[in-house]
Amino acid sequence: MNIFWREMKAQRKSLIIWCVGMVFLLIAGMSKYATLSVPGESQTLNELMADMPKSLQAIFGVGSLDLSTVSGYYGVLFLYIAMMATIHAGMLGATIIAKEERDKTAEFLLVKPITRSMMLTSKLAAALVGVVILNGVTSIGSLMAVQSYSNGENVNQDIMLLMGGLFILQLLFMLLGSAVASLLKLPKRAAGLTSGLLLLTFFISVVIDISGNLDALKFLTPFKYFDAKTVLEAGSLSMGYMLLSLALMVLALVGTYVGYNKRDLKV
Amino acid sequence: MNMYKHELSAYRKSLFGWISALVGISILMMSMFPTFSKDAGAFVALLSNMPDAVLAAMGIHMETITSVLGFYGYIFVYILLGGAIQAMLLGTTILSKEVRDKTADFLLTKPVTRQAIVSSKLLAALTSLAVTNIIYMAAACLITALVSESAFSLKLLILATLPLFFVQLIFFATGLLVSVIWPKMRTVLPVSLGVVFAFFLIGALGATTGDDKLRLLTPFKYFDTSYIVEHSSYESLYLFITIAWVILATALSYIIYMKRDVHAV
Repeated sequence: MNIFWREMKAQRKSLIIWCVGMVFLLIAGMSKYATLSVPGESQTLNELMADMPKSLQAIFGVGSLDLSTVSGYYGVLFLYIAMMATIHAGMLGATIIAKEERDKTAEFLLVKPITRSMMLTSKLAAALVGVVILNGVTSIGSLMAVQSYSNGENVNQDIMLLMGGLFILQLLFMLLGSAVASLLKLPKRAAGLTSGLLLLTFFISVVIDISGNLDALKFLTPFKYFDAKTVLEAGSLSMGYMLLSLALMVLALVGTYVGYNKRDLKV
Repeated sequence: MNMYKHELSAYRKSLFGWISALVGISILMMSMFPTFSKDAGAFVALLSNMPDAVLAAMGIHMETITSVLGFYGYIFVYILLGGAIQAMLLGTTILSKEVRDKTADFLLTKPVTRQAIVSSKLLAALTSLAVTNIIYMAAACLITALVSESAFSLKLLILATLPLFFVQLIFFATGLLVSVIWPKMRTVLPVSLGVVFAFFLIGALGATTGDDKLRLLTPFKYFDTSYIVEHSSYESLYLFITIAWVILATALSYIIYMKRDVHAV
């Protein structure tokens, strides 16, 4: 329990900064909607978008989301929200484990009468709480920001659905980060490798968008698992991708525990 | 000179990683140009019926949308993103890593002045960035020539690619300043990624709605490819801001680093 509280305290400041940044993104993003949603103009814009070839839509970053409804606009924003939240989660997962070796405190911590698994559990629990808090702030912020522009449109359910998808993405990247930190003997590189992985999958999703005919590659990038457009159209998260994420998470979790327990620590 | 060489060799591996990433992204994206130009050709007829206000709001330029340089402008945003992360990381680590890795007292007790330390580190970083740009530039010219079916102006392509260097300088100087102002920074990665992505998001939000005020805020929008293609020059205001900021941030970093307490082991 001590380790848990210690980690909570250690991440407090950065978590606050992330939350403020997220709220800022939401407010700035949604306030743009006000300028877009001028009646008449948004209609033309929408018609224009509907006729646009897929590759062009991707370049303007809208996909075939309906820009004249507030939930459609929020869908555009969702990609950026997901990017921010997963960066936070991935780095948190990687550093929370790797930092002991990096800061040369591993010796101190591991001579205490706890097993490595107990240490990992406390640390992952602390990271989980951080991720949940950021997700909560994002959800509440989204609900409030979108509500104020909704004009009576009922958007709460759509947003909660997207937030559910976001939470799965966050967990996935958090565990991938911890697995990278545990399995590889590169404590200094763990956060870098995790964010490299994240950027790589982000670029893959951009490429899938632009090319328009690479849908088969979607399973490679978590950013496509809960694509705002498909989620909003279907009204639910895709079962197949949920199972895939779950499998990846279990794999990463097992990797974390097994890898860290077996490894020689750098002291 | 020793420090310069040491820094260069310390960054060699990551430098090649970044260069191959940037070149890889551009190959991947430019290879989609043939499909894109087919799609876009049919779409142009439709676009020409649209009111000018809508086109302006969307940032669509009729002259460039189907050309290879126009397409290059769209994908260049992602190259800038990658380049900015590289430069910002370089800026935040190059001075602060000595303290973090507990090598500061070793380095600072050597018979060299702090100016000399900062200068050789800066020079090494500049060399890295320059190498990145030269290799990327060559690759970009080659790829564009390969995917383009019609002739295009090489000079314009070079002009459109050069902003990578400018944007990298901006982020490098910013990173340097952040690292000396905030010496207790434990990990540079979250800070660097956070700053770069924040500016990227501001730019992306501004782009979907075509807002000019936001442009001043984000270096990603200082060098607009369609403007460069049209006028074959840069907008002097933004060029000026870039130069001024880079000089200011670097000078401040020097001054602060000279006076700062460096935490020893």
